Amino acid sequence: MSASATTPPAQAGGAVSDTRGPDRRLGRYLVVPGILATIGLLVIYPVFFLITESFNLGDSGVFPPEEMGLDNYRNMIEDVQVLWNTAFVAGIATVMAILFGLLLAWILTRTAIPGRARLERLMELPYYMTPLVGALAWGVLAAPKTGLINQLARVFGATGDVVNIYSPWGIAWVMALFEGTVAFVMISASMKSMDPSMEESARVLGAGKLRVALTVTLPMILPGILSASIFVFAEMLSAFAAAFVLGIPSRFVVVTTAIWQSTSAYPPEYGRAAAMGLCLFVVLAVAIGSARFVLRKGSYATITGKAFRPRPLRLGARAWPMVLTCWAYLAFAVFLPMGALLLTSFQKFATVIVGDMRFTFDNYVSVFHQGAIASALKNSLILGLIVASIGSLLVGVLVWVIFRSRAPGRGLVEYVVMFPQAVPRLVFGLGLLWAWLIIPIPIYGTMWLLGIAYLTVLLPLGVRTLAGVVLQIDKSLEECARVCGASWSHQMRTVTLPLMRPGIVAAWLLIFISSVRELGASLFLMGPHSKVIGPAIVDAWLTASSELSAAMALVQTGVVFIAVIFLLRITRRYSGEPA
Amino acid sequence: MRMRTLLRTAASALAMAFAAALGATTADAASCANPRQMDGFKTCADVAKAEAEGELVFYTTDPPAGTTEVMNEFMKAFPKIKASFVRLQAGNLMAKLMAERQAKNYLADVMAISEMTFATDLQKRGGYAQYDSPEHAAYNAAYKSKPEGYWTWGALIVAGLAYNPKLVAANEVPKNWPDALNPAFSGAINAKLSTSGLQHGAWYKLRQMYGDDYWTKFGALQPKGFDSYVQQFDRMVNGQDKVVHSAQYSGYLQVKAKGAQLEFVFPTDGVVVGQQIYGVIADAPHPEAAKLFLDWMLGKPGQIAMQNAHFLSSPRTDTPPPPGGIPTSQMKVLLVDDWDAYMKSRPQFVREWDKMMGMR
Repeated sequence: MSASATTPPAQAGGAVSDTRGPDRRLGRYLVVPGILATIGLLVIYPVFFLITESFNLGDSGVFPPEEMGLDNYRNMIEDVQVLWNTAFVAGIATVMAILFGLLLAWILTRTAIPGRARLERLMELPYYMTPLVGALAWGVLAAPKTGLINQLARVFGATGDVVNIYSPWGIAWVMALFEGTVAFVMISASMKSMDPSMEESARVLGAGKLRVALTVTLPMILPGILSASIFVFAEMLSAFAAAFVLGIPSRFVVVTTAIWQSTSAYPPEYGRAAAMGLCLFVVLAVAIGSARFVLRKGSYATITGKAFRPRPLRLGARAWPMVLTCWAYLAFAVFLPMGALLLTSFQKFATVIVGDMRFTFDNYVSVFHQGAIASALKNSLILGLIVASIGSLLVGVLVWVIFRSRAPGRGLVEYVVMFPQAVPRLVFGLGLLWAWLIIPIPIYGTMWLLGIAYLTVLLPLGVRTLAGVVLQIDKSLEECARVCGASWSHQMRTVTLPLMRPGIVAAWLLIFISSVRELGASLFLMGPHSKVIGPAIVDAWLTASSELSAAMALVQTGVVFIAVIFLLRITRRYSGEPA
Repeated sequence: MRMRTLLRTAASALAMAFAAALGATTADAASCANPRQMDGFKTCADVAKAEAEGELVFYTTDPPAGTTEVMNEFMKAFPKIKASFVRLQAGNLMAKLMAERQAKNYLADVMAISEMTFATDLQKRGGYAQYDSPEHAAYNAAYKSKPEGYWTWGALIVAGLAYNPKLVAANEVPKNWPDALNPAFSGAINAKLSTSGLQHGAWYKLRQMYGDDYWTKFGALQPKGFDSYVQQFDRMVNGQDKVVHSAQYSGYLQVKAKGAQLEFVFPTDGVVVGQQIYGVIADAPHPEAAKLFLDWMLGKPGQIAMQNAHFLSSPRTDTPPPPGGIPTSQMKVLLVDDWDAYMKSRPQFVREWDKMMGMR
């Protein structure tokens, strides 16, 4: 321990000095290869198949390809409009989502507004809904000619359409509404972990509330914002449902809808789909590189050895516009779409023409009567529970290696882990199918393979959620514990993990919900006895009726919401926190 | 002498070849020489073995809700066999099946797919097991693989035109395929986005009948593309589109049964017909259950279950029409006459269709 005692203080955001003997150094050099081996199996192995397929110019039904070349990449010149559409929608949707998330996170973590705790819980609601559901609902609300909003506007004298959701801005709006809640969870996890003494110091020195927010709070939560931005941007690049439901009617095609078209018809063009998917990763890699560059320049440790108790700002009468902002977001992201879905789910056939509406309970009877739907929902919940629990542990280790260790190759781990986020799930699912089919372990067609697939594709979500929080924890806290004689495990248990707790809980929650609503990777990996609810809802929408899919989506949302509340209560009870 | 030897050799070779052919035919026929009469259909499957296998996995492009009903009907008839299915779109189903076959990881027993090109291709690759179902006798020769026993059209997907009577004036109601090109439908007509069998069939036949010009004019109407008939009909019922081109009759029957206001036109120049192709998959993990299911499916009980669940039309002439519909015998049906030419045209079709629907 004497060696530790003489260790010079580490730079915040820098690395723990290495004076702990050859065993520790050896351990460090073994950790990253170990992590890389695990991540390699999960991510690089299927990616190898994808890269190979992207060069396939021959028969798409034969793997490995018999004829290879660069044509799939060269031919993307023909798809330049599709690439531009994707960049445009992803860009504006990311800006909107981050603004929503930032504003809401600041209001709900840094100010004292009436009903704050309840609003915070309600903010998670949009994430319970699948993006497909949101897109369908906004189609009912804001379609040109027949959307409920346009019909209402005509009652009040409007002559044309006041809104048109079937447009690039409409697609971006829907995507931003539903990803805004992810940004909120990620950014608010950072804000919750922030020592308010810095803001208080600024206030004491005479800065106004707005100035404190812009010059103190905002820069200190930059890691959280950047983390959320990268994640949300990646989500937008690979988002499918909103572009599919709202873009196709206006003949607005993005990469994911082009990929869907390439893979769903016969003969499928997997080479083209894989090449397009891999190109999205290049865009994401540039974004991750930029964020790392920005973060490397500064220190963002806001959780220091000094004890703190968050003291939210008291806004007086100005709190009410803040409350209104939160409720407006919830109205657009939850209540209006849910209302539209509820209306649809009770109809005999989906229509927004009031005079033609016929109502029935049959759709709900079908949901509960069809054993396949109930079993798919049960499978999804089981998978969500297991994947979220294992995933949040794995993510904790990964984030620690990427952002806290000095192990060589830790930066590479981040890029590798983020890969599944940028590549559309449908394409990545294909890579997973090829990769796991040939492994001589009998898990193909079972829930086990779905679990592995979910873990792989949801790692980026967990890593980005936790990254913002970890970067805020001052390393001196851990070093103090070690100097005081704590073992590594004791330090982790008593210092590090409690500080990471908000991030871990947020990661668990997001992974759980994402697992339950997963679609793209499931399509190829589901077996006859391992069906899950996401594809079932899409199937219902594509092949049965909008009314049945609306009822299924509402039941799914309700069940997930209840499950999360139940699980969080149990967690809090056992951790001694008030429920 | 030499000539005689030659003739003798040739005659013996011919006799041997004939005997071999006869033997093969007899062997094939033998598998179905004494089909067992079940409740409403005949089978050559060993029912006891099928029940001992206890399971059946069906790969299909059919809607899951209807497929669940069909599976339940089968399980009612054979409660010892647990029937399950995997439903995907044609391209995705093909990817899954081909990947499984390459990895020799077999899950599927029977497959139903709406894509002749894929069925023919899979047959060439040895993906189907040959099983001459006793129910094949009830099917038109044009609906079966050559040689028989690899695949059979188990359902007909009829397509015509559908319109919203509130939005289409009486004098604008299309009566035939060229009428659908009326500029009054510009921006208010939709079609299927996917380049699957039905669309290919429509593209091929109408191009054959009216020339390339037909689809150029159709593209000029800026048609909206949707992935399934559900969205196509939703849009029309909602007043967002006036007309559905190559509208599935089965979809129309389902929506009409719910009370929606829409009309279907059987074009005077003929309805386009797609097909749902059934076959037993080679190396099926439950081979006897697969044969039994195929026989049941192609037999009257399966066909009636299929019509009630999916509203598709049976290729058999001895079953009633789908609920609320008319039999195909009362329709003028447009069938592809040259399958080789049809299959060769596929790359051109995919390219042109994608462009027309704004996907490229």
